[in-house]
Amino acid sequence: MKKNATKINSYLTFKLGDEIFGANVSKVLNILEMTRITKVPKSPPYMKGVINLRGSVLPLIDTKVKFDMGETVYTPNTCILVLDIDINGDPVHVGALVDSVQEVIEIDEAQIMPPPTIGSRYKSEFIEGMAKINSEFIMLLNMDMIFSTSELSLLRDSSGELEVEEEKE
Amino acid sequence: MMDNFKKKFIEEATEHIQDIEQALLELEQNPTDKPLIERVFRAMHSLKGSGAMFGFEKISEFTHNLETAYDLVRSGEMEITNELLNLTLASVDHLGSLLKYDTDLPELVMEQHLSLIKQIAELVHGNNSKPVPVIEIVEDIPINVNQKTYYILFQPHEDIMNNGTNPLFLIDELYSLGSCIAIPIIKKIPALDEFDPNKCYTTWELFLATESDINSVTDIFIFVEDECDLHVTLISEFNLIDNIQFVEKLEEIRKNQQEIGLAQLQDFIATLSTPETKQVKKGKDEKVVQASKDQTISSIRVASDKLDQLMNLVSELVTTQARLSLYADNDGRPELMAIAENVQKLSRQLRDNAFSIVLIPIENMLTRFQRLIRDLSKELKKDVVFEAEGTDTELDKTIIENLTDPLMHILRNSLDHGIELPEVRVSKGKPAQGKILLKAFYSGANVIIQIFDDGAGIDTSFIRTKAIQKALISPDAALTKKEILDLIFIPGFSTATNITDVSGRGVGMDVVKRKISDIRGEVEVESEINIGTTLTIKLPLTLSIIDGLLIKIEDIHVVLPLTVIDKIYAVEHYKLMKAFNNTIVLEGEQIPFFYMRHELELEIDESITHDQIIVVRYEDKRIGLAVDNVIGEYQAVLKPLGKHYRKQEIISGTTILGDGTIALVMDTNKAIKHFAYKSLITEDSK
Repeated sequence: MKKNATKINSYLTFKLGDEIFGANVSKVLNILEMTRITKVPKSPPYMKGVINLRGSVLPLIDTKVKFDMGETVYTPNTCILVLDIDINGDPVHVGALVDSVQEVIEIDEAQIMPPPTIGSRYKSEFIEGMAKINSEFIMLLNMDMIFSTSELSLLRDSSGELEVEEEKE
Repeated sequence: MMDNFKKKFIEEATEHIQDIEQALLELEQNPTDKPLIERVFRAMHSLKGSGAMFGFEKISEFTHNLETAYDLVRSGEMEITNELLNLTLASVDHLGSLLKYDTDLPELVMEQHLSLIKQIAELVHGNNSKPVPVIEIVEDIPINVNQKTYYILFQPHEDIMNNGTNPLFLIDELYSLGSCIAIPIIKKIPALDEFDPNKCYTTWELFLATESDINSVTDIFIFVEDECDLHVTLISEFNLIDNIQFVEKLEEIRKNQQEIGLAQLQDFIATLSTPETKQVKKGKDEKVVQASKDQTISSIRVASDKLDQLMNLVSELVTTQARLSLYADNDGRPELMAIAENVQKLSRQLRDNAFSIVLIPIENMLTRFQRLIRDLSKELKKDVVFEAEGTDTELDKTIIENLTDPLMHILRNSLDHGIELPEVRVSKGKPAQGKILLKAFYSGANVIIQIFDDGAGIDTSFIRTKAIQKALISPDAALTKKEILDLIFIPGFSTATNITDVSGRGVGMDVVKRKISDIRGEVEVESEINIGTTLTIKLPLTLSIIDGLLIKIEDIHVVLPLTVIDKIYAVEHYKLMKAFNNTIVLEGEQIPFFYMRHELELEIDESITHDQIIVVRYEDKRIGLAVDNVIGEYQAVLKPLGKHYRKQEIISGTTILGDGTIALVMDTNKAIKHFAYKSLITEDSK
């Protein structure tokens, strides 16, 4: 998995609110339009429910809730990214709600800067790096980490310590 | 293409070789067992036949030697001796290496090949009064006066060549049995523009004079039984083919009308100059062919991934059928509805049938258990007898695979903690030999497995003290005996005072319970001091499809397993809202209920006038679940909810409805336990 990620330098960029994020294309299987979501009662708030992906059942995560940006408000641009992530070595498919999908861009490894250690809102293990494209900063995300953790939010809290985990593995 | 056939042959040959080996080992115990000898012979014969057909000359030739020896055994001319068995077993091993090398044998293998052939030949010669000069090749057997003549009508189906059969090879094989005349009937061959070179249009009439019996003739066609029509008839007790009159007559008939036919011939044979010629009792001989056919299709071996694939396809079919039914209902055309109903009936039957294929008897696990108990009782110096009842009870193979470990653990516990040492048992007035009984039986859509031991039983006061020590219960908790016994399933509870090698390493009954609930099973314990302990495991028959009841709560579709549902009542909404202590009287019985919208943290819609109460069985109680709507019965193909929902206990899976929406499959036992626990906590906090 890791090897793959370093080999392919193409990134899919998407928006959450006004911020632009990038996901390595090797992690993205599919982009779907909004579809009917079946709620699963009594699950954490970022778990939106399940959707029917051509006969199989795909869990759906509200990415904005994970990033503490409030619940996604559905617009015609709202999309579902079907991701192939790695949970403890097992490939798992999961859907991620995003506000809109932008484009696929090539980013050279040389262009990728390490994530800022100070001043970032997000815990560093979720960020692979930063890239500046057309004077805009794009945060390149570690999809495996983000979508396999059961942590409620990816934010650092003010003291800099990790947030209290709601559920322990 | 050819490689494919070779691969198939190798697969098949390996099975034959294994079969021979196993039969030989059984023969060693039982050297006069006729059916076993037949089995060996048959497997050898099949190996020889298919070897020749696929070009494995060495194997075919070598097996032929073995077959000759076992033919003598079969006819009673030779006995099964240790020498013969050892030699055959060595030969069977050799066949394995022949299979590996195909044609170019390494020198060492070749040497062994020749030496084995020689040894077999010696053994056969030693026993055979008739000297047979070269035993490898059938044609060289001197022509005997005991030859009979058969008429064989061989009508291959058009598609016989699709799986690599060449009918000419089969005819070649017939020629190897004796002298033979083959007359092709080619009138079915179409004009050239309609001719398909992949199809076989020819029928053969064959006359065979041989000393072999009718079985060896039909055996040649054993692999194509289903791809041809075959009639073998004994027409004369003599060799007619050497009879010039007969051959001339054949020639004459053929010139006139192409086809010879049996009726004409029999008349002719009767008039033939050999007065002793007897007419055949046709019916009797044809029966023999039929019987051997039945025997070969009684069971087949299938790769388990093919079965998994079959199950997947059946699941897909059931899902698609649900869509069809929905569409037909909406459409309303009576004809379409009739078709949809038929498809539903058929897919249900197909489902049941496919499930019965993947069921295997629990007997398959028993050898391991017997071994475990034998070894362990020695180690622990206990005297224990293990018995099993209902071993033919069948379960889904995935369930069996997942059940073995927990059962081993339970048996280990029974041996270690349950059964006492012989002297202790005697002092308690029990027989010195302890007994562990495994009993399996069907109960509705479940299979129950019980494990009894007549050991010390579980001391409830001891468990109580222990649980208080570990702060699992409060000292003044009033618990029933059953509740105390259930404490052993709580994680971290292990009663073994001495941690032995066998059990009591902290992982205990809680692991057993978890493993069993992973396969949707339940486990219960009952115990009487000094009388014994009984563990009861309740398992579903299958894991992939359940019969369920489809209901609706808000806009969520939920499927409840039909097996737990008792009755459904419609109740006015306000009655539920003001019900005291969440109980309602239905048909004169007080039934505690849970309001599902409330339990699932959904909004309660006050405009509803009626709710449906579904009464389900939970342990030995009846509990009501109040839902918005009951839609109907539904066959749910279970799909997992995914790793992201692994904390979600009350939903055991999902299923896709006919219109593509997803319904959640609820595990009512876990849900009720969850709801009850939650209401307990809120009461405490008040």
